Amino acid sequence: MDRGDNLHQVTNTQHDLYLQEIEGIDDYWGPTFRAIYDNGEHSEFQEKLEQRIRHHDKDIERLCNVYYQGFIDSIRELLEVRSQAKKLNTEVGTLDNQLQSSAENILKSGAELVQARKVQNNIAVVIAQLNLCLPVLTTYSKLKKQIAEKRYYPALKTLEELEHLHLPHVANYRFSLQLRESIPKIRESIEKASMSDLKDFLENIRRFSPKIGEVAMRHSNEQLASDPTLVGRKKKRVAPQPPGTGNQFPEDELSAQEMIDFSPIYRCLHISTVLGSRATFETYYRAERTKQARLVLQPPTNMHESLESYRSYIHAVLGFFILEDRVLNTASGLITRAFLDEMWTMALSKIVTALQTHSAYCTDATLILRIKDLIMLFCTTLRNYGYSVKPLWELVRELRDHYTEVLMQRWVQVFREILSKEDFQPIKVEDQEEYDLVMSSFPLDADMPDDITFPYSFPFSGMVPKIYQQVKEFIYACLKFSEDLNLSQVEVDEMIRKSMNLLLTRSFSGCLSSTFRSPHVNLQEIIQIIVDTGYLEEATVYLDQFVSNITGEETHSVTTGVVQGQPAMFRVAREDAVRQICEKLRQKLNEFLELESYDWLLVEPQGHASSFVTDLIAFLQITFQSFTNLPPEVAQVACKSACEYIGNSMLELLLNEDVKQVSMGALNQINLDLLQCEQFAASEPVTGLQEDVLLAYFTKLREILDLFTSWDWPTYFHDYGQETSKYKQVNPDIAIIILEKLREADKKTMFTVLKKSERDKKKLLETVLKQLKQLSQIPPGKN
Amino acid sequence: MAKTYDYLFKLLLIGDSGVGKTCVLFRFSEDAFNTTFISTIGIDFKIRTIDLDGKKIKLQIWDTAGQERFRTITTAYYRGAMGIMLVYDITNEKSFENIKNWIRNIEENASSDVEKMLLGNKCELEEKRQVSKERGEQLAVEYGIKFIETSAKASIRVEEAFFTLARDIKAKMEKKLVSHVYNDCF
Repeated sequence: MDRGDNLHQVTNTQHDLYLQEIEGIDDYWGPTFRAIYDNGEHSEFQEKLEQRIRHHDKDIERLCNVYYQGFIDSIRELLEVRSQAKKLNTEVGTLDNQLQSSAENILKSGAELVQARKVQNNIAVVIAQLNLCLPVLTTYSKLKKQIAEKRYYPALKTLEELEHLHLPHVANYRFSLQLRESIPKIRESIEKASMSDLKDFLENIRRFSPKIGEVAMRHSNEQLASDPTLVGRKKKRVAPQPPGTGNQFPEDELSAQEMIDFSPIYRCLHISTVLGSRATFETYYRAERTKQARLVLQPPTNMHESLESYRSYIHAVLGFFILEDRVLNTASGLITRAFLDEMWTMALSKIVTALQTHSAYCTDATLILRIKDLIMLFCTTLRNYGYSVKPLWELVRELRDHYTEVLMQRWVQVFREILSKEDFQPIKVEDQEEYDLVMSSFPLDADMPDDITFPYSFPFSGMVPKIYQQVKEFIYACLKFSEDLNLSQVEVDEMIRKSMNLLLTRSFSGCLSSTFRSPHVNLQEIIQIIVDTGYLEEATVYLDQFVSNITGEETHSVTTGVVQGQPAMFRVAREDAVRQICEKLRQKLNEFLELESYDWLLVEPQGHASSFVTDLIAFLQITFQSFTNLPPEVAQVACKSACEYIGNSMLELLLNEDVKQVSMGALNQINLDLLQCEQFAASEPVTGLQEDVLLAYFTKLREILDLFTSWDWPTYFHDYGQETSKYKQVNPDIAIIILEKLREADKKTMFTVLKKSERDKKKLLETVLKQLKQLSQIPPGKN
Repeated sequence: MAKTYDYLFKLLLIGDSGVGKTCVLFRFSEDAFNTTFISTIGIDFKIRTIDLDGKKIKLQIWDTAGQERFRTITTAYYRGAMGIMLVYDITNEKSFENIKNWIRNIEENASSDVEKMLLGNKCELEEKRQVSKERGEQLAVEYGIKFIETSAKASIRVEEAFFTLARDIKAKMEKKLVSHVYNDCF
């Protein structure tokens, strides 16, 4: 550059500047290029620039030559470094991985450790807290258990402990709060539970009290059996146990009451005391028991049907009061003596009423006996427990009367049965054996002949020994009631005699009279009945002895007291029978009288008695002759009654209003008939009658007939009203009636009036009639 | 007093004890039967009014005791009787044989024109029969009287027997009445 001409030189230098400018400035080459162009030198400069480029290429070439080896070496080294770096990198990577994995475990353990530490701390805290809570829970569970076991009283105590001792320590727990809240509820539920327990108990004892009653009755029965001297006469042998000594019950009574667990009552009592509701409890208990008492005392409606229902009723009542007695003695003050007494009084009246009502339905004597035994045992047991039983004794007395009534009814049946099968024929025995059998069943007072020929007839019929035996049976049956009734012998004696008397006078007589009221019973049978009652009457003295033997009452005291009533026993029946004989006879006589066929206008009498009168008299005669077994006094009564009846009937025939006319002939016929009767009356048809006794029944008719047949009016009027009069029984009224009938009859025979004697007779008749009418005007009683 | 009947017939029942006289009578008068045997004592009677051909007839029937000891009493009634029933028991040979004796008794004590009839009672006891019907009939023919077998217990032909007897008596009586009138007229 430095080698050129001067202008060349100067231009060289200018180009250099331009080069420098281009080289120095990266861009903004415009002004430089402008300057080059402005100077027109661009070809020179291109040259210069070419040069310059060559120059630089030469420089770059040389430089490249200088640094080429070094570059190669460097590349070689670099390659080496690269592989080494790669190796290192891998190593580091491995290491890192290793590190990473081991650190991870450590981290995990560390975290676990931290966790464990935390847990440990927590556990410690929890243990501490739990220690505080535990008593609460144990107590609570104890409480639950006690409640479950129905030990309510300890439960209440536990509850209190829980509330005041344990719960405050753990106040901040929710369960404790809950507990606290539930405490009143628990208390309430305990009360309820104990109440329901009590209810169960009440229900239970209601179920069990009959059983208790039964056991108690059995015990007293056993006592009675084992100690017969005590029967009836023991006082309050077992005094009621005062409270406090309630455990010392006599051994034999233990089981009756111990069958029931009374603890619910005591518990309930304690609990209500603790809870302060004792008064309510007392009221509740008493009200409940009163209600129960009412139920117990309500007898089953069909109690009268069986002994079993009586028994269960009495057992239930007894059980109830045994329990109450026990409660009175052991549950201090739950019920008071006054309360129990009041209840008992109420109960007693109800029991008596119930038993009265139901036993009144009873018609079975055996059942009544059983009921009596039941009541007796009931009384004894009740007295053992200190209850008063007086009204029950009254009841037993009433029951006795009822029993006798029932027996009477039963024996009425027995008598009826006997009488219905009775043939009213004397007992006939074929041999000694049969004879002895009769003799052993009936005490025959009469002297029996020493040698008896068979077949032998007893005077009485089969009814006599049967009735006698039945009366004995009746006495035994009566006695059964007074067994262990603790009556004095006098009382028993009196009772039996009274009943026997009633039986014979009322029941037997009634049966007998209804028997011979039957139209089919004939005279013969009634007579046999009379004979039979005669024998029975004689046997009453043996019945009397029989009673005395049984009761042990001395006979003499009895005979003074009762003997006047004794004959009456069969007398009623006997009198009735006698009346019945008269009645039967009268019926027969009536049948005869109905056959009467008087011709009232008879002119001349038949000359002999009317056939119906003859038949009648013959019948009477034969009857009194044939019935040789008729006791004389009965025969006399019957005969008298028959004669009286005939006398009156014949008079009635004569006075009968339907008969308007009577002839003298008819009067004479009646006279003949009357004679027949008088003959009979005088013939002593039955022994022991004075002849004029029977004749007296015909006197009136006799006087009338005498007066009319003899036409003895002067005497009649003369003696009228005097005691000695021949015709004192003929009163004017009767005479008027007959006289008028005669007059009527006379009118029929008109032609007689023509005769003077007849005219006189007629006139006389009219006069007599007038006089008689005057007499009848005078009131009787002049004398 | 107006009569309640047209005729009164007195009948008599005789026969051995136990042949059933009282029962026959009881059947006829009360239409009843009593099984218990009660021996009649002495004499008894029943009355029954029957209608026969428009007439009211009162039958007074005497029931006698069959027993020997009452014989004197009962024979007294033979005389008044207008009809006699002879009763035997078809189960009792003896009672049949005794009929002969009873007839003799009647002949001795009763009026000659008394109507008689033979009754064989207890004819319901066929299995115990000892006297055949033929023998009864034969005996009746022998004595010229009527014969009927009856049963008081079973109520067989008792009515018939009494009605027959009553009818015979009535016929005889009316015949007699007519002959009386006839005799009176001529």
